[in-house]
Amino acid sequence: MIRKLLIVLLTCIAAQTGWAQKTVSSRVSQYVDLTATFGEAQGSLAGSFVHNWKLGSRKRFEIGIGGRWTSYSGSKKDFLTAGPAKYTRSYTVPFLIFFAGQEEQNFDTLTLQRPLSHSINAMLNLGYTIAPKWYVGFNIDVIGITFGRETSAIFTSNGVTKTDPASKPSSFNLLLTGDHDQGSLNSEFYLRYKLASRWSIKALYQFVFIEYQSQMISQTFPDGEMNDRFRNKANNLGLGVSYYFKN
Amino acid sequence: MKNAINVFLIVFILSCKKETTPDTIINPPPPIDTTISTIRYTGNFQNGPWGTTSGTAIIIETNGKFQLRLEGFRVSSGPDLKVYLSKELQPLNFIRLGSLKALSGDQLYDIPATSNLMNYPYALIHCEKFNHLFGSAQLMMQ
Repeated sequence: MIRKLLIVLLTCIAAQTGWAQKTVSSRVSQYVDLTATFGEAQGSLAGSFVHNWKLGSRKRFEIGIGGRWTSYSGSKKDFLTAGPAKYTRSYTVPFLIFFAGQEEQNFDTLTLQRPLSHSINAMLNLGYTIAPKWYVGFNIDVIGITFGRETSAIFTSNGVTKTDPASKPSSFNLLLTGDHDQGSLNSEFYLRYKLASRWSIKALYQFVFIEYQSQMISQTFPDGEMNDRFRNKANNLGLGVSYYFKN
Repeated sequence: MKNAINVFLIVFILSCKKETTPDTIINPPPPIDTTISTIRYTGNFQNGPWGTTSGTAIIIETNGKFQLRLEGFRVSSGPDLKVYLSKELQPLNFIRLGSLKALSGDQLYDIPATSNLMNYPYALIHCEKFNHLFGSAQLMMQ
């Protein structure tokens, strides 16, 4: 009798667990993602873990969070004045700053000879299943840290050139929109194709900020404020592969 | 998966730019014509910490225009070699005259008109990518 009760109980637990897993798997997608991007004399490799929730009755729309490692490498890349936004944009209202004009007279250039940085950021994801095998998505880094190699740089301001022997990556990253942003932040628009139940490949457009700080040289704005932050805003194309744990 | 990684590597390698300096100058400048040009500064190249350099650096003035001339010049091979006029032996404040045209032979570089040459007493051969000095010539007024 006890044995029969135990079998019934285990069967119920197994059935409940199976139902629960089925429910979770249909509402959640979890995957890891590897991406390589390429641009002119620069490139990046990124690995991320993504946890998305599926929304709506047809579960086509996804929103979620994740973590991403981005390694960026370049050669002789021009990094421009990174801010503060009050010097680089015609107006500084968050989000509307995207449409603000550039105050180019306040831009100086730090040409980094061999930038190499590694960023670990929390990120946000949005996605939509457009067909059984096709999916479009967007993701963007929100907050994190960066470390990397110091490199020599050439600072150019009003035709005057100076050497900064050891510029280094800015260590703190924070998404605040436009030139309010701090540090190095990665974002992707992508189209993904499902190869098998767990494997997908994707093609992507990457917009990535990489920020370095000069050590011995500072830019001086007309009012005397100093700046040592310089940013490369890179537009790259890339390919990626995803492996699903849950979908 | 293996093919995908190979594609990544191939594209990544192809996206890299190779920078090389020719061994010898193809079109060397004619000798200095002292009837129209005046020698303002000269100096002999010495080896830097990262390269061997020999020859003479000469700043000439022709019709109010200044040029740096390298004569009997030779330098060891290196990446991303540039020609500077610098305030310091290890360049912190400098004028970039351009990429080195060749590892050996006479060559000529225009100097921007706004430059005050009194403030730039060194002609340098500098590896910009790695911030390594290959050679220097201290310029003396003639």
